[in-house]
Amino acid sequence: MTALAIIIVLAPLAGLGAALAGAGARTAGVISAAGAAAALGCAIAMLARLDARPPLSGLDGFLYVDSLSGFFLLTVAGVTLLAALGSVPYIAAQEDAGELSRFQVRLYFSFFSPFAALMLASLETGNLGLLFVLVEASTLASAALVGLEGRARSLEAAWKYVIISSLGVTIALAGTLFLFYSASALHPASNLALTWPYLLAHAHALAPQSLRLAFLLAVVGYGTKVGLAPMHTWLPDAHAEAPSPASAMLSAALLNTGMYAIIRFLAIAHARLGETYPRAVLLSFGFASIVIGALFMVRKGNFKRLFAYSSVEHMGIIAVALGFGGVLGLYGALLQVLNHALAKTVLFLSSGDVSLRYRTREAAKVSGLLSAVPLTGGALLLAAFAVLGSPPFGVFLSELTIVRAGFAGGSPVFPLLLLALLGVAFFAFARTITPMVTGPPPRPEGPLAQPYRDRTAVVVTAAPLILGLAALLVLGLWIPAGLDTVLRHCAAVIG
Amino acid sequence: MQSLSASTTAGVLLDLSGALILLLAFACLASKLFNRYVAYYGAQSVVLAFAAGTSAAAFHSAELWILAGLTLAIKGIAIPLAARRVLVTRLKLKRDAAMSTGLSTSLVAGGALTAFAYLVTRPALLPHGTVAAAVVPLSTAVILLGALTMVVRRHTVAQLIGWLIVENGVFLGAITLVATFPFIVEAGIFLDIVAGVLIMIVFVSGLTRELAQASAAELRELRG
Repeated sequence: MTALAIIIVLAPLAGLGAALAGAGARTAGVISAAGAAAALGCAIAMLARLDARPPLSGLDGFLYVDSLSGFFLLTVAGVTLLAALGSVPYIAAQEDAGELSRFQVRLYFSFFSPFAALMLASLETGNLGLLFVLVEASTLASAALVGLEGRARSLEAAWKYVIISSLGVTIALAGTLFLFYSASALHPASNLALTWPYLLAHAHALAPQSLRLAFLLAVVGYGTKVGLAPMHTWLPDAHAEAPSPASAMLSAALLNTGMYAIIRFLAIAHARLGETYPRAVLLSFGFASIVIGALFMVRKGNFKRLFAYSSVEHMGIIAVALGFGGVLGLYGALLQVLNHALAKTVLFLSSGDVSLRYRTREAAKVSGLLSAVPLTGGALLLAAFAVLGSPPFGVFLSELTIVRAGFAGGSPVFPLLLLALLGVAFFAFARTITPMVTGPPPRPEGPLAQPYRDRTAVVVTAAPLILGLAALLVLGLWIPAGLDTVLRHCAAVIG
Repeated sequence: MQSLSASTTAGVLLDLSGALILLLAFACLASKLFNRYVAYYGAQSVVLAFAAGTSAAAFHSAELWILAGLTLAIKGIAIPLAARRVLVTRLKLKRDAAMSTGLSTSLVAGGALTAFAYLVTRPALLPHGTVAAAVVPLSTAVILLGALTMVVRRHTVAQLIGWLIVENGVFLGAITLVATFPFIVEAGIFLDIVAGVLIMIVFVSGLTRELAQASAAELRELRG
């Protein structure tokens, strides 16, 4: 098991090795994808073994993997695989078009791999201090991806991202300090005491006053990385300026890593403070994010910004689901994590293809996708409806679960408000996407660019889109028994 | 974990260092010259290293001694030197005019935030008579002042210094609140700060260069 845990973190680094050895975009991309596939395989193997055995714990608690970390490992490794596949044609096409220099291509892959590895590592540690260190390091690695294109706008987005996220994570560190302080009565001396399973097991002895402050600071701090409003301001800029596969990584992997950290704090707060306080905190930030996300989606403009605000909205939905609580709420929240990750990855990867062909990121300048690029257009449309919660895709199922959890929790006000906001988001999102996909095909005087060198690149572009959509469809129709068990284990961990 | 009493020599010294660190955060907020930002940050880090040394002596902890040395070398000397050489001198930064509020308004806000820090942390959270009860409100105030600096200053270098002040505030809280923080975590935090400063310096230089080119292009358009 320990070996599996180590391979999960080290395998994605293969891409870094390739980039440092001077491989081009295609080789480095394929090697990154192979590394991610290995990590994904190991994550699945790990989950299967965790089913029957107690959580993996070692190295004084610095290494700790239970079902919850296993589930997030699965999500992040899966997204990394799809994004690495998407990087191969996207980055190669940008290099061929002369938009990225050879140096920038190598830079991309030398930061893409550590970014993935650091996120996976942060999911495998039980030590809350080390969690901070790894999350902050993953911020720094991804900042280079956001600023990769080197124009004033992308550098500004990268600056905004790195400075706001660093401030946020530093606040989370202050929260971690207060959590450790709340454990003073336990006289913790060894490293083991600063790990979250220990704190969870001894939650009854924590001082409630400082635990309350600690939980609030952690939600604000890690919430900055999650993109919860009002700390979300870095998110639309960073997602819009990063290369599309990197945007997919930010939206579908990085935000979830932040959410994982919040869930760990939630479990401890829940065990000591009861339901009311964590519920109030999570519902406030959650609904604020859904409102902000839905309102800003109304504005037409850059379609990658639209997807970014949709991420803010979805992170809000997950926070609300965690706030609703109960087995149903937690189950729905985690299912939503996985479904949103898949749908958003497909959306960002297909948006990458669109921006390569139309040479724009403005929604108003794109039309007739279905007739011009049927496969990408179809994937974009399906993923858009999936992310908005239409049946038969997975998001529908998870959002239904969350609304049911809300009704089961008592007051019908919150689930009804959630439904209304989902409706607003649906119309706002569809209003921009529908004319892009349908509409008349592009004018004859402005022919589409042919960004790819050969047919292989076209196939590699399509592969992650089809894989992601297929997984979404499966999750919408049927939840595999293994996944169901894992989700129930996770819900039990959170409490 | 044991907490130092406020009346011991170490307690008094820590309390005094905390007050000095807060004062230097105020000085940074009130200053308008880039040179001064860096100088005040450097001085603050030296005081912080002294505080860590005091804590190390009181707890007889070799790890804390190493941290005090690292603080002095990295935060007190290396980062200020690098910031001065690579940013202030090379980019010819002198006066910082980009503020979103007036100087007096931001100082009043800083005072209010300090009072707020005392209100939040003092009453029920911390046992009276310990050094933590005296220093944690100070460190919370330093964190808030650093964040305020980042908000009211629009220039990237000022925001970078603001973040470093927040980091110093957290560190001050860490050495008084939980002296038994695992060393590997502290070392990791240092590594993060160094990598963060390096990456941020790259972005600051790149942005300044790009923006300078952009404004030059605007000038040419106006002329032609």
